[in-house]
Amino acid sequence: MGTILVVAETQKGAIREASYELVAVARGLAEAGGHEVNGLVIGSGVGELASEFASKGAGKTHVVDDAAAANYNVEIWSKAIKAAAAATGAELILISNTPTGWDVAPRVAAGLDAAFVSDIFKAENGEGGFKFVRRIFNGKLGAEISSKGQTVATVQPGAVSAFEGSSEGGTEALSSDTSAGVKFVEIKIAESTGVDLTKADVIVSGGRGVGAPEKFPEVIQPLADALGGAMGASRPVVDAGWLDHPYQVGSSGQVVAPKLYIAAGISGAIQHLVGMKASNFIVAINKDPDAPIFEVADVGIVADLFDIVPALTAAVTAAKG
Amino acid sequence: MKVMVCLKQVPHQDARLDVNADGTWIQEDNIKFEINSYDTYAVEEALRLKDAGDAEVVVVSIGPDRVTQALRTALGMGADRAIHVKDDAADAADALGTAKILAAIAKEEGADVIMTGLMSDDGNASAVPPMIAELVGIPSATGVTATEVSASSIKVERELEGGAYEVVELPIPCLMAIQTGANQVRYASLKGIMQAKKKPVDVKTLADLGLADSVGAAHNKTSTDKIYIPIKGDSAEILEGSTDEIVSQLVTKIKELGLL
Ligand SMILES: Cc1cc2nc3c(=O)[nH]c(=O)nc-3n(C[C@H](O)[C@H](O)[C@H](O)COP(=O)(O)OP(=O)(O)OC[C@H]3O[C@@H](n4cnc5c(N)ncnc54)[C@H](O)[C@@H]3O)c2cc1C
Ligand SMILES: Nc1ncnc2c1ncn2[C@@H]1O[C@H](COP(=O)(O)O)[C@@H](O)[C@H]1O
Repeated sequence: MGTILVVAETQKGAIREASYELVAVARGLAEAGGHEVNGLVIGSGVGELASEFASKGAGKTHVVDDAAAANYNVEIWSKAIKAAAAATGAELILISNTPTGWDVAPRVAAGLDAAFVSDIFKAENGEGGFKFVRRIFNGKLGAEISSKGQTVATVQPGAVSAFEGSSEGGTEALSSDTSAGVKFVEIKIAESTGVDLTKADVIVSGGRGVGAPEKFPEVIQPLADALGGAMGASRPVVDAGWLDHPYQVGSSGQVVAPKLYIAAGISGAIQHLVGMKASNFIVAINKDPDAPIFEVADVGIVADLFDIVPALTAAVTAAKG
Repeated sequence: MKVMVCLKQVPHQDARLDVNADGTWIQEDNIKFEINSYDTYAVEEALRLKDAGDAEVVVVSIGPDRVTQALRTALGMGADRAIHVKDDAADAADALGTAKILAAIAKEEGADVIMTGLMSDDGNASAVPPMIAELVGIPSATGVTATEVSASSIKVERELEGGAYEVVELPIPCLMAIQTGANQVRYASLKGIMQAKKKPVDVKTLADLGLADSVGAAHNKTSTDKIYIPIKGDSAEILEGSTDEIVSQLVTKIKELGLL
């Protein structure tokens, strides 16, 4: 059988956990399909990390180690992955669905004229290709996708547990063109201003379903206040300028785990869920019984938030006496 | 400078999603459609370039008749002209097929800058934009939240995770896939809508683009076998009853958590 190529990502001088999740997906497919698993590490001074990747599941690991690759660069990465695909004849190339992965993976697929499937959370061997499961419509529906021939797939971080076994294979330098027109300038971290949701015991978050900016101070904040907690929001609320970015919960906002998280008018897209699903107790209020937020909630209320939230605020206030 | 904006029309975010008869896509009859949310930010970002200098903004969409509405909206916002790829075979293309069509148009137009959304709200692929760039042979950046254009390059901010951004400089020509919230999107003014009626919408088929033999269902490398409403499993306990009953059950839970 052919080869599955697993593309590692490094972060703060280490291989990311998500890369070992890719290894787990690859090993699962290889067990059933008899594939060989190979790794790829791209960066500057990454020799030791590549050896680690090779011995912790990725097997034989190809390395593009070049000062020019010190920071992620879309051109260097796409050329390196295509070179590794050629060197290994990979049937399947697995990349994490991270800001790096979604930037480079489709380029690789187009360059190889290969099938591309993104953000999968389950993979199986198919006939002449692979079968994947993913979500569409921002998590509202599931989809089973099959690919034909050489395939590039990105895997949702956290979808499977990281591989914890070992492997043999060693590392091998891969020569790849590291020239690029795109120039890295810097990494910027958004300044945090005032609101620190991570310290709150209770968070009451409103989503696009809240419908209008004034409803946040009128409806959402009073419940947060009554419970002695903080107000949060989903991304569209922040995008629309209704609340500032520090209120945003999710993959591109704050990751929180309060004792109680109340989500009102939030559908439950994966990018929101990763920011709050570790909460101790989750209450979801949504008028759509099929909303994916109910998949992570402990308690669900299928109703109009404008009926429930003000009544709850009044009841909580009354209970406090 | 010529700016090409790729926009997709997708089911309205509040549309009812029912699985169609063969179980491979949603029932599209009698639901409302809108411009993909990410793409509205791409149109706005392109129009800001136009406002700042002498850019021509060309909006391009692949889709059935209904797509005219999305293109007219973008023209009403201020885009100069539109290209509508209307061909059943194009509608059936997978992401790579779609990218091949848009890359062919980008080359034909000689676009200096291509702007797209980061992701479509229906298929959630986040696939087409980097593919277009690879096929055209130009650099790309995805998840762009800010752009600063100079004569021969564009400095962009790419959103990473948890409040971090990567600043990169792309030489022109290049492609940018715009993230939501990158700007505040304008509405089409009444005057804009009136003017849009006179703006050209070119309709093209795959044959016009020389792609009739390479794009379409028969050439797809991926296929959707089945879509379904996910089963909720052992998740939430759903509270039933009147508002008062629901609220009193909730208050009991909150007390049990020791938060009241
Ligand atoms: C790279 C990337 C990063 C992202 N980062 C984040 C992030 O950090 N945080 C985040 O939240 N999203 C993020 N997103 C966006 C995410 O994909 C979703 O688009 C977003 O979470 C949807 O927000 P929502 O649930 O408020 O809106 P919608 O999905 O539109 O849901 C609104 C919900 O409100 C319900 N509703 C409407 N009216 C009422 C009512 N009166 N009463 C009760 N319910 C009602 C509807 O049934 C619906 O379920 C990111 C996306 C990408 C691609
Ligand atoms: N049918 C289409 N017509 C025009 N642009 C499209 C089409 N499909 C995808 N795109 C562009 O590609 C982006 C990402 O879409 P996707 O890769 O499908 O998630 C969208 O935001 C659009 O800018």
